[in-house]
Amino acid sequence: MTPLKHQGRLLAIAWAMVVALLLAHNAYLWGVKRIAPETDILALLPVQERDPVLQASFTHMVDSAQQRLVVLVGAPDWNDARRAADAYSAVLARHAGLFAATPLDEQTQNDWLALFQQHRLTLLTAPQEAQLRKEAPAFWRDSALSQLYSPFGGPKLGAWQDDPFGLFGGWVQERAQETPVRPRDGHLFVADGERQYVLLPMTLTVPAFSLGAQETVLPLLAQAQAMARQAVPGVEIISAGVILHAAAASSQAAGEMSTIGLGSLAGIILLTWLTFRSVKPISLILLSIGIGCLGALSVCWLLFGRLHLMTLVFGASLIGVAQDYGIYFLCNRLGADPALSSRALLLRLLPGLCLTLLAAVIGYMGLALTPFPGLRHMAVFSALGLVFAWLTVVFWFPMLVQGGTLRSGALVRRYGAVRMHWPQARANRATLLCVLAFAVLAGAGMARLGVNDDIRLLQTPPAHLIRDQLKLGKLLDAPTPVQFYLVRGDSAEVVLQREEALKRRLQTLIEQRHISGVQAMSNWVPSLQTQQARRALLDASVLKPGGALDLLAQSVDEGPEWAGKVRAQLAQAGAPLLIDDFLKVRASEPWRHLWLGEVQGGYASIVALRGMQYAAIPLLAQAGGGMPGVQWVDKVAEISSVLGRYRIYMGAVVLGAYLVVFGLLMPRYGRRTWRVLAPTALASLAALALLGYLGQPLQLFHVLALMLLLGVGVDYGIFMQEHPQQRNHTPWLAVGLSATNTLLSFGLLALSHTAALQAFGLTMLIGTALVWLLSPCFVAPEQPDAADAAGVA
Amino acid sequence: MKVILKAALAALWLAVAPAQAAAPVAKIEAMLAKPQQLCGRFDQSKQLAGMKKPLASNGRFCVVAGKGVLWRTLQPFPNTLRLTRDEIVHFQGERVAMRLDAKTEPVVKMINSVLFSLLAGDLAQLDTLFEVDGSIDGNTWQVALKARQPALAKAIGGIRLDGGAFVKNISISEASGDRTSIVFSAIETGPAAITAQEAALF
Repeated sequence: MTPLKHQGRLLAIAWAMVVALLLAHNAYLWGVKRIAPETDILALLPVQERDPVLQASFTHMVDSAQQRLVVLVGAPDWNDARRAADAYSAVLARHAGLFAATPLDEQTQNDWLALFQQHRLTLLTAPQEAQLRKEAPAFWRDSALSQLYSPFGGPKLGAWQDDPFGLFGGWVQERAQETPVRPRDGHLFVADGERQYVLLPMTLTVPAFSLGAQETVLPLLAQAQAMARQAVPGVEIISAGVILHAAAASSQAAGEMSTIGLGSLAGIILLTWLTFRSVKPISLILLSIGIGCLGALSVCWLLFGRLHLMTLVFGASLIGVAQDYGIYFLCNRLGADPALSSRALLLRLLPGLCLTLLAAVIGYMGLALTPFPGLRHMAVFSALGLVFAWLTVVFWFPMLVQGGTLRSGALVRRYGAVRMHWPQARANRATLLCVLAFAVLAGAGMARLGVNDDIRLLQTPPAHLIRDQLKLGKLLDAPTPVQFYLVRGDSAEVVLQREEALKRRLQTLIEQRHISGVQAMSNWVPSLQTQQARRALLDASVLKPGGALDLLAQSVDEGPEWAGKVRAQLAQAGAPLLIDDFLKVRASEPWRHLWLGEVQGGYASIVALRGMQYAAIPLLAQAGGGMPGVQWVDKVAEISSVLGRYRIYMGAVVLGAYLVVFGLLMPRYGRRTWRVLAPTALASLAALALLGYLGQPLQLFHVLALMLLLGVGVDYGIFMQEHPQQRNHTPWLAVGLSATNTLLSFGLLALSHTAALQAFGLTMLIGTALVWLLSPCFVAPEQPDAADAAGVA
Repeated sequence: MKVILKAALAALWLAVAPAQAAAPVAKIEAMLAKPQQLCGRFDQSKQLAGMKKPLASNGRFCVVAGKGVLWRTLQPFPNTLRLTRDEIVHFQGERVAMRLDAKTEPVVKMINSVLFSLLAGDLAQLDTLFEVDGSIDGNTWQVALKARQPALAKAIGGIRLDGGAFVKNISISEASGDRTSIVFSAIETGPAAITAQEAALF
């Protein structure tokens, strides 16, 4: 046994042990620990590196929205709606553990007003305040008398003398206007012109993004819907909730993962069989891919403790690249002298193989430089998968494939012959014309290329979900969770004062119907300043001696002592309402998410907008301008701008990677190095130009694909440069096989309905095809080659 | 508003409470005329907690089956309350002082149903919301209503009705100590009972 052979055997055995460990670990992960991939789309977004208060405000808004599930059951007739809603609820009631329903609690309603009643002298609406400044005491006396003599005198809270001027009643009514939802017959009710709806608000007790939760909750909802429709045919059911979107996204991703993965595998199997006429190479390639995937899974789990479904989807395309090493070895084995030992052949191929692995890993590592956790996982997963597949080829293939065991089919000979007639780029007129034509066409295409970094392009929920969401938002007049104002100050009081200043500015936008209203903590708890001013205003206009109260006393034939008593009673309710007291009572529950409280040594709150028109966003952004402590927050724009910044940043990384790879290849290829990179560079330019002609705006994921294209394309360049002779079909065969497989895997990604993957896939599709077709053109003119000289025919 | 909120809770019971009337109630129902149109004069006296003198007012009212209630205070401050199936409108003179729409405030339907039942003496309907305790003495009857719903009981306290072929007196005691008593007189029935002016308001 030669030392070389001995060493090879040792390495193969060591690798077998590693593979056994991987198998055991994977069996443990899937079988014992039963891990499930994450599906939270937000986990793919970068952690906000900047403002912790801003981050806290997102968490507040998102947390309060994420676990919520809202269902509206509607029919033209209220009783039908109720019957359908009861049928719906009955199904869910059998699984009470999954939902924390918000019951219509009598006690809540009863206590609802108690706290405010104790502070009623400091709570006024803005129109009341204006009226108090404008109207004479007689006006207030008359309105009090009218209330008094009317039998069922409109809305009234408690005894008449507790609120003789109806001011507190008016304030409470204004608060009730903050939502169109009303209690009715023990249900929550809301209506539009056509239908009356029962509102069923639910809070999930299981995480909305867990696959398990989605698999239990969604069938239940479907069953509940069916029961409701059975109870009342034609009933309208509108559902909205993060879990519905999450479930739609995961089922789409899961479906695509199997399509892309299986499609890619089927393609590889067919191609390998056509090439080698044997099942052995297929099983060998599958072996290397399988070990690559298992290794990537194991190590990623150890590194991150979690895996995102998108990582796996992207990882499915790994199959397309991981095969290159096996294919390269097998094609060379096929073409080499059967007498040459496989180990000696491998040693000869090793420099090229090392370079291809390095270039691909550098390509994937470019993804790891982005701040997107999901992309980092994808990068590490892919790079690891490649390393494991590569090591399998290097350690095991020479043992498993001996010379003379592979035959090629007629298809291979015909395909190989094509290369003899393939055009070559030489310093001549034809090449110059081609270069000119390419420059003009590519330039024109790229000039058409626009950019669009809108995050909404990346998520395309099913149309019915969007429709339901819009309708529900309209019916409930709910605020948008992604656009709001963030208000900050040194104390709670300053924050409330700034909210009030902001609300005064927004009043014009409400009047112009750009928004329908504002939700803010200061609606419920005005700043101390405002409460004191209102108290003083009441003192000056209504309560002062000779004011409306005294006039009223005269009109009802009562003396000053009656007025004194009423005044004293009102004065007891004149202490300002404090935010901490409000936060303690249950009435504040629906509004607590607006109050961030003490964060980072300051105080902060959210002013949310109801019924926002999207066209009004620029106006709203302006409205907060110049106000101290007030910041317009638009998470959609925020993330889109992050995507935009990283598109530009990644563009620079791609150019940098070309330089690094060039440097990496220089020692081996010297003056021929440009020939390795030229096909990939040209293909990338052409892909960009085609995107321009197709009218697809450039976004981060196109640029990321160009990065990966570099890794893949350089492989082909290296294969071709390693064996530049036109009569040598081996590299051409390896490139063809591998490019076809890459096209199959990434071509299928271009069919994905996830916009990001589609963009990625399309770029890879165009790019890979072009690299394949261009790579023979740039091979250096005939020169004796080290590998060929040594006898690889 | 509190009354409205509490009344809304009370509406809960519309769905679940048994809608059958006790024996004397059935007899009282038989005594009531229940005409299509019913108009007349009312005299209201309101005794507020902490006030020495009751506040007196009077006016005209109309109850039209299937339409609603018109309540016009003429003295001392003219104002009109119109309760129909879909809304409650409060006029101060010509001005609309308040309008509650049943589409957005479903409790309007319930308030209107209760008031209509009170004025028309529809005890079976009232039984869904109140415990009805009645007694008959010759041609007259008396009924005491106690809200079935604790929250509503807390707001309204108790209601007493008495009458013969029509409701004659209503007295309402609120938990706050305010008391209202209304006496009906000069009752007319039939299409001619409604004046043209009143018909125009409906």
